[in-house]
Amino acid sequence: MSYSKEFLCSIHEKMLTLRQMELKILDRYAQGRVPGHIHSAIGQEGTFAGVLSTKKDGDYWKPIHRMHSLSYMMGMDEDAFWGELFGKKTGNSGGRGGMLHIGDFNTGFLGMSATLGNDAGVCVGAAMTIDYDNRDNVVYMIMGDGTSSRGPVYEALTMAKLWNLPVLFICENNAFALSTPAEDGIPVKDALAGRGSGWELPTKVVDGTDVLAVYEAAKELTDQMRAGGGPAILECKNYRWRGHFEGDQCNYRDPEMTKDKMENQDCLKMFEEKLINKGIITEQEIEAFKERFDKQMDAAIERAEAAPSIKPEEIYDNLYA
Amino acid sequence: MKVSYSKAIGDALKEEMRRDERIVMIGEDIGEYGNIFGITRGMLEEFGSKRVRNTPIVENAIVSCGVGAAITGLRPCFELMYSDFTMCSFTEIFHIMAKWRYMHGPDFKLPMVIRNASGSANGAAAEHSNPVESLFMHAAGLTIITPSCAYDAKGLLKSAIRSDNPVLFCEPKQLYQTKQEIPEDIYNSDYTVPIGVADVKREGADVTLVAIGLMVPRALEAAERLAAEEISVEVVDPRTLAPLDTETIYASISKTHRAAVVEESNKTSGVGAELAAKFQEDLYYELDGPVCRIAALDVPMPYNLEMEHYSIPTVERIMDSIRGMFR
Repeated sequence: MSYSKEFLCSIHEKMLTLRQMELKILDRYAQGRVPGHIHSAIGQEGTFAGVLSTKKDGDYWKPIHRMHSLSYMMGMDEDAFWGELFGKKTGNSGGRGGMLHIGDFNTGFLGMSATLGNDAGVCVGAAMTIDYDNRDNVVYMIMGDGTSSRGPVYEALTMAKLWNLPVLFICENNAFALSTPAEDGIPVKDALAGRGSGWELPTKVVDGTDVLAVYEAAKELTDQMRAGGGPAILECKNYRWRGHFEGDQCNYRDPEMTKDKMENQDCLKMFEEKLINKGIITEQEIEAFKERFDKQMDAAIERAEAAPSIKPEEIYDNLYA
Repeated sequence: MKVSYSKAIGDALKEEMRRDERIVMIGEDIGEYGNIFGITRGMLEEFGSKRVRNTPIVENAIVSCGVGAAITGLRPCFELMYSDFTMCSFTEIFHIMAKWRYMHGPDFKLPMVIRNASGSANGAAAEHSNPVESLFMHAAGLTIITPSCAYDAKGLLKSAIRSDNPVLFCEPKQLYQTKQEIPEDIYNSDYTVPIGVADVKREGADVTLVAIGLMVPRALEAAERLAAEEISVEVVDPRTLAPLDTETIYASISKTHRAAVVEESNKTSGVGAELAAKFQEDLYYELDGPVCRIAALDVPMPYNLEMEHYSIPTVERIMDSIRGMFR
C-alpha cells in the first residue's frame, strides 16, 4: 500500500503521543503522584495506533486496562485526562472511576470493565445500535491475551456473529497475562485467532510492532465490516516491556529477552527510522514535537494536581441519572 | 376488567414499544415462542426481528449488550428468563450495569431494564426458585423493582422503561396467573406508577407488615384474618427495593410501633435483614419490640412440592409470626 506523507506523519504522531504520554505517566507514578496502579503499555504503541487509525466518526471503541494514554490519543481533553488519573473533580467521572475508566464518551469511548472481558458484550450492544440505525460504523473491542481466555468474550462473539454485527475483536497479545506467559496459559498458538476460529470470522494475525501491517489488516477488516460483512478478529503480537503493573519485578521472565525486545523491536523506533530514511520526517522535528508535548503536558499536570477533589458530600453524585 | 399479572407485563411492553421505537427487546425464547410464560407472544410479529430478538443461552452477553445499547442511544428492555440466571451475569449486573455511570461519568446514561421471572413455583427446585433482590440491593446504582399486583406491574414496568437508570425488574412467578379487578378506562389510560414510592396496601394500627412481591397477597390475607383476632395489621408494599421509600415505611412504623418484614427469599441476609437493621438504626425509640423477619427457610429450595410450599412463608406462618409479636 502507498501512503501520503500526511497520513504517515499522522500515524507517527499518534504513536509518539502514546509513547510520550506513557513516559509522563510512568514518571509521575515513580514520583508517587498517582493514587492507583499503572498498567503501562509502553512499547506497544504500534498496535493501538495502527488499529485505531482506521476509526471514523460515529465508531465506538473500548480500551483495555493497559495504555491509559489511548483516551488522550483518541481526542480526550488533557485536563479531563490528567484529572481522572489523579482522581480529581476535573476527570471524566470526577475521580470516581479512576485510571481504568478514563475516556470521553464524545470520542466514541464506551467505557471499560476492570473485570476484564465481561465488557465484551458492551461492544456488541453498541453494535446493535449501529445496526438498528443502519450506520456504516464499527466497534473496536480491544482485549489482551489474558482476557482472551474469558468466557464472556465468546458469548459476545456468538452474539456478534449470530446478528452479523460490526464488532472488530482485537487481541493485543503481549505474551503475558500478569505473570503467566502465554505459552503456559494459552493452549493454542494464537490466543484469540486460534480459539475464535470456530466462529468462522474474517481473521488476521499480524506483527503488532509493525504499525503499517496492523493498520492494513485493520483497514481491510473494517472496510468489510462497514459494508455489512459482520464481525472480525484481529490478533496483534507484541511484547509487554514493563511489568503487569508498576512495581512488578518481572521475576517470571528473562530480563535479557525483555532487553532484546526493547532494543531491537521497538515499534516506534523502527517506524521512525523508516520515515527518516524516506525523508518524510527529521529527527529535529521529532525532538521538537517531544519538547512541545512535554511543555504542554507538564502544564496540564500542574493544573490537574492543583484541581480540587470532589467533596464528601458529592460522593453520591452521578450514581443515578 | 380482570387483568392477570402476566397480561399487565405484556401490555406494558407492547404499549411502550408502540410509543417509543428506540425500545428493543432481546432474551431467551422471547421471539416466536413468546417467552416461557407467554408474556411476549405476538411481539415478534408486531415489532419485527430488529426489535424483538431471540438470543442463545448467553446471560453474560444479554446484560452487557443492554449496557452497550443503552449508552449509545437505544432503550433496551431485556429478559433473563429465570431470576436465578442473574447469577450467570452477576458481574455484568453488579459491576457493569450498576456502576458504569458512576465509574465513567455523567455522559453515560443507562436507560435499560432487565426483567426476570422470580421465586418459586411448581417444583422448579433449588436453581430455578430464588428471588434475588437482596443479592443486588448490595449494588449501589441499581433500581430494583418487584411489583405485587397487575396494576403496579404495568405502571411500574412503564416507569422502569422510561427511566434513564438501569432497572432490575423482578416478576414473582406465582403471581403471573393471579388476576386483579382494574377499571378498563384506568387500565388503558397509559398510567404509570412512580419508582421509589411504597404503597400502603391495607391500613392498620397495631403492626406494620412490610411485604414484598408474592408475599403481599399473603400478607393481606393474613391481615384480614388477624383482624378477627383484633390484631390490626398495616401492610406496606415497598414496590421498589432500591431506592427504598423509607419515608412511607417509617411513617407507618412510627404509627404502629411494631414492624415485621415478609419475603420469599431466604432469611439469612435477606431483604428483611437489611430492613430490620435499618429500622433499629433509624427508629429504635419508635419500636415497642424486636423487628420480626418472616422469610423462606435457609435451605436450597426442595423439589418436593409439599416442602416447596412449606419452605416459603404461608398465610398461616405469617399469622403465627405476627401473633408472636404480641405475646
